[in-house]
Amino acid sequence: MTQVTTSEAGQGVSGPPTEGFLEIAGGRVHLFRGGGGAPVLFLHAAGGAGRWHEFHELLSRRFEVFAPDHPGFGGSDEFPELEGVDDLVFHYLDVIEALGLERPHVVGASFGGWVAAELAVARPDAIGSLTLLGAAGLRLPKHPAADLFLMTPEQVVGALFKDPARASALFPGAPSVDDVLAAYRDMTAMARFSWYPFLSNPKLERRVHRITARTLVACPSEDKVIPVAHGERYAELIPQARFSQIEDCGHAMYFERPEEFAQVVTEFLADVEAGTQLSGASR
Amino acid sequence: MKFVFFHLMPYPYLPDDFDESYPSPSLTFPNKHFDRELGNRLYHRYLDELENAEKLGFDGIAVNEHHQSAYGLMPSPNIMAAALARRTERAQIMVLGNAIGIRGNPLRVAEEIAMLDHLSNGRVVSGFVRGIGWEYFASGVNPTRSRDRFNEAHDLIIKAWTSEEPFQWISPNYEYRYVNLWPRPVQEPHPPIYIPGAGSTETMKFVAEHGHTYMSVYAPTPLVRRWFDGHRQAVEELGMEHDPVKSAFSVPIYVAETDEKAHREGRQHIEWLFHRGLKQSFPQVYPPGYMSPGSMRGMLMSGMKPYTETSYEELLAGGYAVVGSPETVTARLTELQAQLGFGQLIGLFSIGDITSDEMSRSMELFANQVMPALRPLGVANRVTAAS
Repeated sequence: MTQVTTSEAGQGVSGPPTEGFLEIAGGRVHLFRGGGGAPVLFLHAAGGAGRWHEFHELLSRRFEVFAPDHPGFGGSDEFPELEGVDDLVFHYLDVIEALGLERPHVVGASFGGWVAAELAVARPDAIGSLTLLGAAGLRLPKHPAADLFLMTPEQVVGALFKDPARASALFPGAPSVDDVLAAYRDMTAMARFSWYPFLSNPKLERRVHRITARTLVACPSEDKVIPVAHGERYAELIPQARFSQIEDCGHAMYFERPEEFAQVVTEFLADVEAGTQLSGASR
Repeated sequence: MKFVFFHLMPYPYLPDDFDESYPSPSLTFPNKHFDRELGNRLYHRYLDELENAEKLGFDGIAVNEHHQSAYGLMPSPNIMAAALARRTERAQIMVLGNAIGIRGNPLRVAEEIAMLDHLSNGRVVSGFVRGIGWEYFASGVNPTRSRDRFNEAHDLIIKAWTSEEPFQWISPNYEYRYVNLWPRPVQEPHPPIYIPGAGSTETMKFVAEHGHTYMSVYAPTPLVRRWFDGHRQAVEELGMEHDPVKSAFSVPIYVAETDEKAHREGRQHIEWLFHRGLKQSFPQVYPPGYMSPGSMRGMLMSGMKPYTETSYEELLAGGYAVVGSPETVTARLTELQAQLGFGQLIGLFSIGDITSDEMSRSMELFANQVMPALRPLGVANRVTAAS
């Protein structure tokens, strides 16, 4: 059975987030939860595991945000039997069930956006809405994703941020051995799920028409990692998707412009909530 | 002591702006820099050098596998071994090794090595390597599966060589409903297997349990000593006697008539190898998942500098390379043998941008003046050298 153990961490305006572990089949999921309101399941990008970000904090002023670390990332267990994003879909169905959520809003960024899209394809009925932020997942040979695996840390910062000066404020100082090992573990999990086919499921493009949830596709204007063409394609293929672009921002998205991203997501989710009494998210 | 003449077959003709303009000679270094005519001549020169090594008395001549790189021009080491097999008669033909971690079909390796064993009349040595990090980028194979693929392919190939009946093979990364190898290799039960190690205790145990030969990679002497000691201990813990010939020390060697001449000529070649050939970024060497967490921690804590930041003097003092007159090289290798206990020396003589003349002289001096002095070293009590 499920059990959430909590310990206080971080700080918040609308009540501090709690940090804990969710025990499900295969291991323990590390997650943050904070705020109140309709439930939002946030699926993180390649970076950003193990932390409660300003973006989460802003979102939690209006919604209850659940931010788990993917298997093998941050504080979550390895779940070594999970080999691909198809496995992650079942993993997150387990997580949603274990948390007792019914039709949560699902918000995914980059790699997490890919997982969110696959979840929405596999179980259109299981989510309240879908938000894709700079989402990976489509294989568009004319618009290849940048190879983060081959980049040095300096190159990664250059690729992620429109303004790399913002990055130095977020990551001050030289990393320790433990920092390097933690980053290597995250990238190892990332590679497990996305090395080949690279950051994509070639079959996803012809499946996204199955998505019935109301969908927001939001992209940073200066994305050097996942070209905006990916977001445009998602928006084109997903029935009645809303498309939004955040200006003057790189793929780091909620690291670089947390307020703008929180605002566009909050507005969309509020619209969904307002427009749907019966089919919106609940728990 | 068993002597192996090892070749990397480098492409030495780098552009003048290489150091400033290119992060590595591997993976992303444009292949327009491969001059078809110069490259063509290189293959024949290098194969001549390998054949000549047999004439000079080396016990083995060795090739290896690298992809998409000026560091080494042998994407298929088995083709090089085939070219040597019928042009030589005595020396072992050593493939050090096939990168079974990145091969899509490991049975093809079993088949080719078995064929080579016939072409060479039972002289083949089969090395297995995982492939350098960048080769996972070059092949598309997921580096997080590298170790499992290596282990599964290793077991599958040995079973294919030794089984006398068709069998089915199912493992997480490979599935064959029919494995029934034709031809079987000449050597019984199968060609000797060599595996490189770089500190992983799992690898030391793995090599010991299977009775394979443990090869070092280019590293400072104290590290190599720890690896060789670990392997020897693993053998002894299994209740077996360690045969020094199963510890194979890999090292670039340059010999000239005098120390002064050797350094004057050799410095640039050693620097080419370590500062250009092995110029590579962290993710190129250690793609995600290529290293276990424990091995990665050990590597980070070892304080080993990147090759490109290790000066010529440091490379020599650290035992990464041996340069000098025949007397100096003999003394240095004797000293290293005493520290490390190896019974097999895998010498890299064709170093970086070395000329054909320098190379011929170096290997002749080594064969005539160094080899005889080292020959009695590293021999087990009841085992003869050059097995």
